[in-house]
Amino acid sequence: MEEKMKLRPEDFQALEVKEELDAEKIAAPSLTFTQDAWRRLKKNKGAVISLFIILFMIVVAFGSTPFVNRDTLVKSQPQYANLPAKIPGVNINGLNGKAKVGDAWVDKYAQAGVSKDKYFVMGTDYLGRSLAQRIVYGTKISLIVALVATFFDLTIGVTYGIVSGWKGGRTDNVMQRIIEVISSIPSLVIVVLMLVVFKPGIGSIILAIAISSWTTMARMIRAETLQLKSQEYVLAARTLGQSPTKIAWKHLVPNLSSIIIIQTMYTIPTAIFFEAFLSFIGIGISAPETSLGVLLNEGQKNFQFLPYQMWYPAIVLCVLMISFNLLGDGLRDAFDPKTRR
Amino acid sequence: MKLAKLAKAGAVVALSAVFLAACGKSSDDGASGKQVLNWSETAELPSMDLSKSTDAVSFAQINNSMEGLLRIGKNSKTEPGIAKKTEVSDDGLTYTFTLRDNAKWSNGDKVTAKDFVYSWQRTIDPKTGSQYAYLFDGITNANDIIDGKKQPSELGIKADGDYKLVVTLEKQVPYFKLLMGFPIFFPQNQKAVEEFGDKYGTASKYAVYNGPFVLEGWTGSNLSWKLKKNDNYWDKSKVKLDEINYKVNKSTTTAYNLYQSGKVDATVLSSEQARQLKGQTGYLERKEATTAYLQLNQTKEEFKNLKIRQAISKAIDRDQFVKQVLAGSSTPAKGFVSSGLAERDGKDFVDAAYVKSAVDYDEKDAKKLFEEGLKELGKDKIEFSVLSDDTDGAKKSTEFLQSALTDAFGSDKVKVNVSNVPFKTRLARATSGDFDVVISLWNADFADPISFLDLMTSDNSLNAGKWKNEEYDRLIEASKTTDASDPAKRWDDLVQAEKILMNDEGVVPLYQRTQAWMLKPSVKNVIYNSSGVNYNFKEAYISGN
Amino acid sequence: MKKYLLKRVFYMALTLFLVATITFFLMKLMPGTPYSNQEKMSPEQIAIMNQQYGLDKPIWMQYLLYIGGMLHGDMGTSFQFSNQPVSYLISSRIGASAQLGIQAMIFGVFFGIIFGSIAAINRNTWIDTGVTILSIIGKSVPNFVLAVLLQYYIALKLGWFPIADWGGFAYTVLPTIALGVGPLAETSRFMRTGMVDVLNSDYIELAKAKGLSKFQIVYHHALRNSLIPLVTLIGPYTVALMTGSMVIENIFSIPGIGEQFVKSIMTNDYPTIMGVTMLFSAGLVAVILLTDIIYGIIDPRIRLAGNEG
Repeated sequence: MEEKMKLRPEDFQALEVKEELDAEKIAAPSLTFTQDAWRRLKKNKGAVISLFIILFMIVVAFGSTPFVNRDTLVKSQPQYANLPAKIPGVNINGLNGKAKVGDAWVDKYAQAGVSKDKYFVMGTDYLGRSLAQRIVYGTKISLIVALVATFFDLTIGVTYGIVSGWKGGRTDNVMQRIIEVISSIPSLVIVVLMLVVFKPGIGSIILAIAISSWTTMARMIRAETLQLKSQEYVLAARTLGQSPTKIAWKHLVPNLSSIIIIQTMYTIPTAIFFEAFLSFIGIGISAPETSLGVLLNEGQKNFQFLPYQMWYPAIVLCVLMISFNLLGDGLRDAFDPKTRR
Repeated sequence: MKLAKLAKAGAVVALSAVFLAACGKSSDDGASGKQVLNWSETAELPSMDLSKSTDAVSFAQINNSMEGLLRIGKNSKTEPGIAKKTEVSDDGLTYTFTLRDNAKWSNGDKVTAKDFVYSWQRTIDPKTGSQYAYLFDGITNANDIIDGKKQPSELGIKADGDYKLVVTLEKQVPYFKLLMGFPIFFPQNQKAVEEFGDKYGTASKYAVYNGPFVLEGWTGSNLSWKLKKNDNYWDKSKVKLDEINYKVNKSTTTAYNLYQSGKVDATVLSSEQARQLKGQTGYLERKEATTAYLQLNQTKEEFKNLKIRQAISKAIDRDQFVKQVLAGSSTPAKGFVSSGLAERDGKDFVDAAYVKSAVDYDEKDAKKLFEEGLKELGKDKIEFSVLSDDTDGAKKSTEFLQSALTDAFGSDKVKVNVSNVPFKTRLARATSGDFDVVISLWNADFADPISFLDLMTSDNSLNAGKWKNEEYDRLIEASKTTDASDPAKRWDDLVQAEKILMNDEGVVPLYQRTQAWMLKPSVKNVIYNSSGVNYNFKEAYISGN
Repeated sequence: MKKYLLKRVFYMALTLFLVATITFFLMKLMPGTPYSNQEKMSPEQIAIMNQQYGLDKPIWMQYLLYIGGMLHGDMGTSFQFSNQPVSYLISSRIGASAQLGIQAMIFGVFFGIIFGSIAAINRNTWIDTGVTILSIIGKSVPNFVLAVLLQYYIALKLGWFPIADWGGFAYTVLPTIALGVGPLAETSRFMRTGMVDVLNSDYIELAKAKGLSKFQIVYHHALRNSLIPLVTLIGPYTVALMTGSMVIENIFSIPGIGEQFVKSIMTNDYPTIMGVTMLFSAGLVAVILLTDIIYGIIDPRIRLAGNEG
C-alpha cells in the first residue's frame, strides 16, 4: 500500500525563540586575529616600551630633517673641534664640558676659548660639528636602511616565497637554485661592486640590500607555503575554482602573517648592522652625510683619548637594536600563540 | 769631479771602519744583551723581487737586506755600498764603479759586476713587467728597451771583469748617484733567480741577500717577519742590531696599544692620535717628500677659468686644515715641490720658488674671484665633485674641502660633492679624466725637484688635469738638456717652472705630509729620508731605556 | 637516499658554476687595472703584462680559461702579491680564520646551551629575565665595538691577554669572545624556546611521574630533543663566522682570510677575489647540504620534505 502524505507549509509552526539555545554563544567579545595579537602585545611591557622608543626615534630622526640636513652637516667650525659633552644645568664631570686629561678634569670649553653660553649636548667631532646632530642624522640613515630592507622583504621576499612554494615542481626548483646562488655570493662583493660601478652612497647600499636581503624571507615563506598548500581549506578553495592570486591573498597571506612579521623583525636589525659594518670598513655612505657606522668607526680610532665619540653612537645603536629585538620577540609571542608563554 | 772625490773619501772612511772594527771585535761581542728592535708596520710585505716591487714596505725590506752600488745615508747623502769607488767622466755621461771584492750573497757567491748587469737587464726587460723601470730613463737605450724597440742586452751597462762596472748615459742625469741607492738598481744573483724560478722573491727562503740584514720568517703573505743581522755582510761591524721584528698592525689603535704595553718600539700614528700625543716623550714627526694637491680637470669649462682656480686655492685655509684636520702632523704646502728636498746656496727650493699669493688664504678675495669667474662663465652656480681615496686621511680632507668651499662661496653658488673610492679606482678615474677635482699625493722617488715638476709637463700621464703651459714645458726640457750640466742654470729653470705652475694654479697644493710616530727614545740612529726608500737600519742601535 | 644525494651534489656544482660565472662578469665591471703604478709604465710594458696575465684576450675567452683552470684546481696568480698562487694565499690564510670561527662557534654554542637551559628550567624567574636581557644585549652590540672595548680594558688595562697578534691559545681568547657573543646570544634564545617546548611535553611529564631527578630529565630527555633545531643554525653560522670576521681580524692583527679579501677587492686583485668568493660559496653550499643530511638522520620527519627540494 502506498500512502502519500501531503505536507503543506501551513502544517508547520514556528517555535518561540528560547533563551537556552544561546548557550553556545561565546561570552567574550569576538576579536579578529590582529585585535587579539595587539591585546597580547600590550601585555608585554618590554615590547611596548620598545615600540615607543622606536616611534620616538622615528619622529626625532625624520622630524629633524628641516634642522639637520646636508646644508647643516656640511658646515664645520674647526675652532670647536673635539669638545666633550656640555649640557646646560648639568654639573657631572664628562657632561659639563670637562674631559679627563691624565688624572685631572680639564674644562675643554674654556681651553678652546668657547663662549660661556655655547653648548654641545653630546660634544663635537674633529671638525667641530655637533655630535648630537650627526647621531640624529645617522639614526635616520639606519632607519631608512631598516625601512628599505623591510620593503624588499615584504614585496620580493614574500611574493617569491609564495610563488615558489605554490607552483612547486620545476618552477620551485629553479627558483630555489636562484636563491642559493644569490646567497652564495658574499654580500660584500655585491656591495663593493655597487659602490665601485655606481656612486658610493646610500643608493648603492640600498641596491645591495635589495639584491641580497630578501632571500631568508623567501625561504621561510616557501617552506610554510608548502605546508599550507595541502591544508583542507586551501584544497577546498582550489576545488571551488578560486584563482591562485585570490587564494594567496585571502588564505595564504593571513596564515603567513606571523612568520612575515617575525622575520621582518629579524631583518631590520640585520640590515642596520650591515650598514654599520659597511661604514665601519669604510665603504659606506659619503660625506657630508653620515651614519651610525661611520660615527662608530671614527670614534673607535680615538677611543683612548675621546671615549665619548664612540660611546654615544654605540649607545644609540645598541638601544635601537635592543628595541627592535624586544619588539620582535613581543610580536612573535603575540602572533604565534604556540610560543606564547 | 767633486762628487767623485767625496765618494773616494767615503770609501776610505768605510774601509778604515772595517779595519778598526776588526780590531775591536772581540770586545764587542757579548758586551750586552741582544739588540732587538720591534717595529709595527701598516701593510703586508708583498714581494722581495726587487724588479717587481712597487710599495714602500717591500722597498724598505729590500733596502735593509740588500745593497746596491751606493747606500743612502743621513740627509739623503750617498754612502759607499758595494761600490768602493765611483768615477764620473767629464761630460757626466759615463760612470765607472769599482766594486769591493769582499761583498757576498747569503748563498756564498761573491757579489760581482755581472750581478748588476743581470739585474738591470732583467728589470728593464718589458717581459718582467717592472713598474718602476721608468727610473732607468737616461741610461743608454733604456727607453727604447722598455718600448720593445731594442733588446735588454743593449742597455748602457757593461761589466769589465768581476769588479768594474761601466754605465753609460744618453743624457746627463744630475741625480744619478741618488738613484744608485734605490732598490730597483740593486744587484740580483742570477743563479738564485733562475734556481727559484717562479718562486723567486715570494718568501724569505726564496731570495738571497747581500745587505746588513737577512730576511727571515716571511712566508709570502703572513703578518710578521724579522730582519736578522747578516754575518756575511762586508761592513757587519757597523751593524749593531741583532734583530728587527716586524709585525703588521693595520689598526693604528691596536698598534698604539701595543706600543703602550711595550710590545713594539715604533709605530705610526693616526692624525687624531698625533693631536693627542704631541709633546710626549717618543713623539716624533717625520717629514715626507710628499705633497697633497688638487688637480682641477681643465677639459671642463669651469676649471679652464683661471679665476675659478685661483678662488678655490684662496678659499682653503691651509693652516687651519693642517692644524685641525690633519692634527698638526703635516705642514701647509708652500708650493708643489716639497720642502727639504733640495737646496742651493742655503736656500730651500720651496722658498726660492715661493709664490705667496698662490697658496694664501683670503676668503674675501676668493669670493670675489669666484663671482667674477662665474660671470665670465655666464653661470649662477657650479656643481662639482671632489674625488679622493677612501683612507681615513683622504676622507677627512674631502670633508674639510667640501665644507671650506661651500662656506667660502655660499651654498647658493656652489655644490660640492665628494666621492671616496679605493686607491686603484681613483687612479683609473684620474688617468682617464673621469673627474672634476681630484686630490692626488706624490712622493718624490729621489731628492730632486724634477721628481715633482716632471709630472706637470703637458704629455705626462700623471698630469690628470691636462694643464698645459708651453713655457713650463720648455723650461723642464731645458733643465734636462741644455742646462743639465750647469747646476745654477738648471736650478733657475726649475724655480721658474714652479713659479709658472703656481701663478697659473696648474695644481692647487694643499699640504706636505708629515707622519707622526711614537718611537722609543732608546732606539737610536735610525736613518730616515723623506724621499725614495725611507728607512735605513744599518747603523741603528738600542741603548738605555 | 643515494639518488637524493647525487641530485643534491649535482645542484651544488651547478650553483657554484653560476656563482663563478656571475662573479667573473661582475668583476670585469670594476674600473681600474691591477697595476699600482700604471701611469709610469710604457704602453708596450702594459701590453706585455696584460698578455702574461691573459688580460688581453676577449672576455669570453678569459672566462673559459678561468673556468678551465678552476676545474684543474688552478685559481691563478695573485696580482697583489707578485707570483703568489691564489691557492697558496688562501691556504696560508684560511687556517687562522677557520680556527677563530670554530672556536667562536664552540664558545657561543656551549655557553648558549647552558644559559638557555638554565633560563628555561628557571622559567619566569629573575634568572630567566637576566639571561634574556643579557642575550638581547649580546645580540645588539656590534662585535667590532666589543672588540675595541675588550682590547682596551682587558688586554691593555688589565693585561690578562695579549693585545693583538697570533701565536698560541692566549692570543685567540679575546677575538673568540668578541666573535662568539653573537652566536651565544642567538643560541641561548633558541635553546630557551626549544627547551620550554620540550619541558611542557607529555613524555617529560611521564619522566617526572617516574620520579627521575631534575638533572636526569634535563640531561637525558630535554636537552637532546631541544638540540635538534640548533643544527640548522650552526652550519651557516660557522661559515659566516669563518669568513665574516674581517673587522675582528683587523683589530687583533690576525692573519686571516677575511681581511685579505677586503684588500684584494680594494686592489683589483681579480684572481684572489674570485678564489675567495668561490671558497665562501663552496663552504656555504656544502654546509647547507651537510645540515640537511644530518637533520634528516636525527629527525626522520624531515626526510619527506627534503626529497621534494
